[in-house]
Amino acid sequence: MKNLVKFLILGFFAVSLFTSCAKQPTQEINDTKAAVEAATKEGADVYAADELKKLNDDQTTALDEIATQDKKFFKKFGTAKEMLAKVKADAEALKATIPAKKEAAKNAALTAQQEARAALDEAKALLEKAPKGKGTKADIEAFTADLKGLEDSFPEVQAALDREDYFGASNTAATIKEKAAGVSEQIKQAIEKVKGKK
Amino acid sequence: MKLKTVRIFVLTGLLVAAVSCQTPPVPPEVEQAKDQENELWRAGAPVYATQQYIRYLSSLRLAKGKLIKEKAKFGWFRDYKEVQAEFQAVLKRGQTVLQSVQEEKALKSRNLTEQLEALRERTQRIWKLILTVNETQLVRRSLAQAEVAMMETEVLLDKKKYADLSRKIALIQFHLSQAEEAVFSILERYADEVQVETWRRWAMETISESRKKGTTAILITKLERTLTVYREGKVAATYNIGLGKYGLSDKLHAGDEATPEGRYKVIKKLPQSRFYKALLIDYPNDEDKKEFSQAKKRGLIPRRAGIGGLIEIHGGGEDSLTGGCIAVEDGVMDKLFSGVSIGTPVTIIGSLESVAELLASLK
Repeated sequence: MKNLVKFLILGFFAVSLFTSCAKQPTQEINDTKAAVEAATKEGADVYAADELKKLNDDQTTALDEIATQDKKFFKKFGTAKEMLAKVKADAEALKATIPAKKEAAKNAALTAQQEARAALDEAKALLEKAPKGKGTKADIEAFTADLKGLEDSFPEVQAALDREDYFGASNTAATIKEKAAGVSEQIKQAIEKVKGKK
Repeated sequence: MKLKTVRIFVLTGLLVAAVSCQTPPVPPEVEQAKDQENELWRAGAPVYATQQYIRYLSSLRLAKGKLIKEKAKFGWFRDYKEVQAEFQAVLKRGQTVLQSVQEEKALKSRNLTEQLEALRERTQRIWKLILTVNETQLVRRSLAQAEVAMMETEVLLDKKKYADLSRKIALIQFHLSQAEEAVFSILERYADEVQVETWRRWAMETISESRKKGTTAILITKLERTLTVYREGKVAATYNIGLGKYGLSDKLHAGDEATPEGRYKVIKKLPQSRFYKALLIDYPNDEDKKEFSQAKKRGLIPRRAGIGGLIEIHGGGEDSLTGGCIAVEDGVMDKLFSGVSIGTPVTIIGSLESVAELLASLK
């Protein structure tokens, strides 16, 4: 009976030693935070904002679990470690998807820029072909001014591309393309008007 | 038997204790708060209700802290009542934040939409003002830039990107201001009451002379782009005209592509002209020569520039862009040619009405 009591007391201390002195998974915490930070820096806040938010939430949940365990007498960080490992893996996976998303947005912006350039060039070429004379001079001057205005706006596309604002660049380019197409249409109508007069 | 009863009693007691001391479940408000935080983030609380959101997050952290503390206790000793109350308060606060976000967004959207509407009206006013003006290159250039930015705002408004939208609105305002500056520089003279009064006087004198002498007279109004024929002081006909690139300016020297202002006479009728038929007027008159000489002395015109001449009313069409002459449709030219004789007064004025009010509306 005496031995049993001794055994129980020793067992209790042994368990206490291995559980209450379990340390926070500091390395895992730091690694996970670094992985989430790296995904953010890669551009997840722009190209995968919802996924990044989920990642941050999962990280908070894992840290809450650590805080809970930290306050317990018998600390068990196994679940928290698993959660951290999952967040880290998810962060790395998310980071890996960003370059492709960024590239797709960049390509879309570059295509929009080329299309806007083509629309501007087409309008200019049309204007060059327009019959010049006293009857058309005023219209030509007006369209030239319109196209100059669009040309002035065109560098905004490149400026947006340079600061990696691909969505902004696409938007500006699409607008210039639409306006240039509108001017082309007006030039065509003016040419038709002159033809009709002859 | 007695021992058996005691055993049953103890076991039942233990069972009841075990059941009653079960670990209580985490209150549902905890999960609801998590969902709410996500909803707030998606709604844009960090942007549209920053301070409130920070306070909300701080209260959420406190509640979580209490939850963690409670969770750390042995299951039998956990009591989530306080935690539940804390999370209920957080949910209530979150609801208020969400409402603020929605109100702020609605207000922002309304304000920006109103601003955009005002800018659209401003653009239309500029277009209205420049419809009869040829020297609009600078204006149209700025308007084209403003319109590009204006079209972009539609996408931004749709995507609720209000910060980007505000930047675009500032850009539109800049381009419109430039356009307005250009309009002002062209039309300033047309808002000068003394100048407009002089033009009115010339017009009245011309009409009065036509009435008194029973003759034909021509009044050309540059801003309205009209040529009116008066017979015995009464309007016989009004036609549309075309002017030069800088037609609204008063002619000062050769090559300035401006149309002169003053009281002239038809001095030659040309049945065959480069532009169908033409009526040559006596520009420069004595007043023009005086102005030319003064402008030259003040260095307002190039030293080698001559005063110019050969200002005509000719055919070719009202949509012509002349070098300073007045163009009309060929059919109109036929009527003028037959109805006008050498010596017919031709008075060219800027406008009978001041544009001061119109220009003021741009400000």
